[in-house]
Amino acid sequence: MLFSRVRGLPVLTPGDADRLGVVRALTVDAASGEVTHVRIGRGRLRREAVVAWGALRAVGPDMLIVRSLGGPGEVPPRRDLLGSRVLTECGEERGTVLDAAFDPVTARIEAVLTTLGELPADRLLGLGDHALVIRTGHVRHRV
Amino acid sequence: MNGLTAVRSLTTLPVVTLGGDAVAHVKDTVFDPSAERIASFTLTGRTLLSGPLPQDLPWPAVHCLGHHAVMVRDEGALFDLPLSVARRDAVRGRLLGAQVLTEDGDPVGTVLDVLVEGTSGRLVAFRLAAQRELVHGSRHRRHRVYVPRGEALSVTGRTLVIPAHATTYVTDDLPRFVERVGARHDRGRGVAP
Repeated sequence: MLFSRVRGLPVLTPGDADRLGVVRALTVDAASGEVTHVRIGRGRLRREAVVAWGALRAVGPDMLIVRSLGGPGEVPPRRDLLGSRVLTECGEERGTVLDAAFDPVTARIEAVLTTLGELPADRLLGLGDHALVIRTGHVRHRV
Repeated sequence: MNGLTAVRSLTTLPVVTLGGDAVAHVKDTVFDPSAERIASFTLTGRTLLSGPLPQDLPWPAVHCLGHHAVMVRDEGALFDLPLSVARRDAVRGRLLGAQVLTEDGDPVGTVLDVLVEGTSGRLVAFRLAAQRELVHGSRHRRHRVYVPRGEALSVTGRTLVIPAHATTYVTDDLPRFVERVGARHDRGRGVAP
């Protein structure tokens, strides 16, 4: 599943199928290569909600269903993977992130698509306020 | 970074952790007293109006020096330092503007920029505003002259004294200079051309 496909999907609660909001962004832990939280927009005047990925009951192509709305515990800082600059651990820029593919069951990131090609998830080191840092190596260029 | 990099281009580079956070910007590059390699970087804050930071980044804490960022493992790499000490070190260790003489006392020029090896931080060469005695021609042409550091460089205050033979490698073309210095380096190590 692509990050860009998930963005904008409605998030529902299971019992009465109340619409909680829409997906604004996915928070990732680049070091472990996993999606950790979902950020849900609830309208202009309400703060966005943060739900741990593990609190989702189902992830479909048209909606996400939340199992429980318990507090997300420690809320991670907002870091958007999409649009972030890519930097190697040697300080060389390697384009920007266009999209990322992940497995909705395991939440593992499978690949990151950048303006310069595709990156395997095992090369991700960290995602901060400045850049997505990757291990030095060769980028698989798109044909 | 495997190639050479100009120290002037390091100014304003972000200092980025492997976690992707920018923690500072490079203000000045400080060299060791013998002008052999980079000793540390002085830092400024990240925003436009933030002044110098009371911290510096020692060279051993640098994970990698790149064209777009100075990479460090984490924020703990920055070393707390009183601002006055940081300023004093920056003035002492700054090579830009220093006068260059040969062993015979002939003025060669003043340092406009310094080329360092990205992996080791070793000082390789100077970019000089050369004197008319060293390079003939227009002033603009003389401003683009590269001179290798040489093994026998000595530093006296703000004056650098280079061996007389170092001036034989003077060139105004960086790729050709890198080629020449590389060939000389290989000969020194006994590498066949």
